[in-house]
Amino acid sequence: MKQLARWGKAAEDAVLVLLLGAMIVLACSQIVLRNFFDAGLIWGDEALRLMVLWLALAGAVAASRADKHIAIDVMSRFLPPWGRRLTRVATNLFTAVVCGCVAWFAADFVLQAREYEDELLGGLPAWWFQIIMPIAFALMSWRYLVFVILDIAGRRSESERSVSDA
Amino acid sequence: MIVFGALLLLLAIFGAPLFALIAASALYSYSREDIDLSALAIEFFSIAEMPVLLAIPLFTFAGYLLSASKAPSRLVRLTDALLGWMPGGLAIVSLAACAFFTAFTGASGVTIIALGAILYPALKQSGYEPKFNLGLVTSAGSLGLLFAPSLPLILYGIVAGISIDTLFRAGVLPGMLMLAMLAGWCLWVNRDQKQTLKRFSWKTVGSALWESKWELPLPIVVLGGIYSGYFAVSEAAAVTALYALIVEVIVLREISFKQLPDLMRESMLLVGGILVILGMSLASTNIMIDTGVPQKLLGWVSGFVDTQTSFLILLLLFLLVLGAILDIFSALVLVVPLILPVAAQYNIDPVHLGMVFLSAMQLGYLTPPVGLNLFIASYRFERPITEVYSATFPFLLILLLSVIVITFWPQLSMALV
Repeated sequence: MKQLARWGKAAEDAVLVLLLGAMIVLACSQIVLRNFFDAGLIWGDEALRLMVLWLALAGAVAASRADKHIAIDVMSRFLPPWGRRLTRVATNLFTAVVCGCVAWFAADFVLQAREYEDELLGGLPAWWFQIIMPIAFALMSWRYLVFVILDIAGRRSESERSVSDA
Repeated sequence: MIVFGALLLLLAIFGAPLFALIAASALYSYSREDIDLSALAIEFFSIAEMPVLLAIPLFTFAGYLLSASKAPSRLVRLTDALLGWMPGGLAIVSLAACAFFTAFTGASGVTIIALGAILYPALKQSGYEPKFNLGLVTSAGSLGLLFAPSLPLILYGIVAGISIDTLFRAGVLPGMLMLAMLAGWCLWVNRDQKQTLKRFSWKTVGSALWESKWELPLPIVVLGGIYSGYFAVSEAAAVTALYALIVEVIVLREISFKQLPDLMRESMLLVGGILVILGMSLASTNIMIDTGVPQKLLGWVSGFVDTQTSFLILLLLFLLVLGAILDIFSALVLVVPLILPVAAQYNIDPVHLGMVFLSAMQLGYLTPPVGLNLFIASYRFERPITEVYSATFPFLLILLLSVIVITFWPQLSMALV
């Protein structure tokens, strides 16, 4: 389990670093090409937009691991520890179910796109790029399910999730 | 429907992630309207169809890079050399430096962490009262939201469909007003205080300038490029990210290659968190517009509000409450599409609405129960949260006054547009 977590985090980091690095390089070379050579990669702008989607979802998966998604959470700090654990199980279970649903319907969307042979980047199958959506939401669903299991088993200490964590 | 809404609300106040709540409500509305639920994914995918969004990861990353380097202390030294000779100088230095830094790093609380740590002890050393310092540093941490290239400004432009250059010009005067009113307050409070004033010297300015030589071109290129129309916003973001990367990692070597993956990860956590909410709210907003929620809202509002002034009063009250419970990014993507058509009926320009919205939401950083800056300051300076509340309160009142001026004086927002 620990091993799995380490591999998972390394994979997330690798994806984030590669995407962000590629994005900076590509965006800057587009500027140079446009201004100095009056040219540009035809697929460049579209690729950059797809990278934003991928980066957003990879970042969202990473945010799930760190339990750092934007939330309102005004009540938790008034609860005793057992109450906090209870509401955490409820909200995390809810999130796991919602992410699961989103992953399911996103997979449906990808299958449809594959069936209709939608294309992106001048000829590549669109589903290659869209498949990140079901994958990312499935991973997030899994992540929140792990939180639920750990909380029920009492294996998640308070310090792992402090309310005022900046 | 009511039961479902109440359930979501309950989950929300106990800390369920906002994106999941929005997704659940979108899926629920789709199924009520008999729309294929995979439409949610189609809406979400439109994140890949908005060119301006590219600016968000790039500016955020650049901001994280700059905060992790020694750029904050160089910025404070330079502002101090330029403004430190005035009475109340260091207080004004703090305001100016924070506003500048927040504009570049995007109001995520990094300003308090990066600059507060330098300013808080420096203020104390110059003889300002501890309570004043705490309030000043906490409230200055969200100044600068209205200045280019702040993330909330960009996001408002995306959501409202307004050119971002226009917003960048519109924000200048309202942002200056907020700064000037806070500066005036700082001078007034400290009028009898004995402080050790520094003498202005060209030599100090020169050496502070020399020290910041690598960062100085950044605001000039970015702001100059954007305001002159030479760069698109996303291009300016790309240049900023690459330049900050080269300067801090290769030239100055203040950030090692080893630190980079962690910095990238940290900054992309925030980006992922914001964009996944944006993606879900694209879906939920569309279904709300299709089912006529803005019209119903307008019908309800026009029942007891008939003039522009009374609408603005109502809007302001609503935004103050909203800002107290919701963070600025979520509020932007969720609420702006719904109030834009309503505000248009009362002849409010979307640019002016943006200034009102952002400046009012800025107060949300400082209002209990969830004001982010209050918690960060309490955590960072190890003061009890109640003390931070009371220290920040006078500053909050001044800022509230400035928001009222911005709301009822539209020319201020429209003068440079």
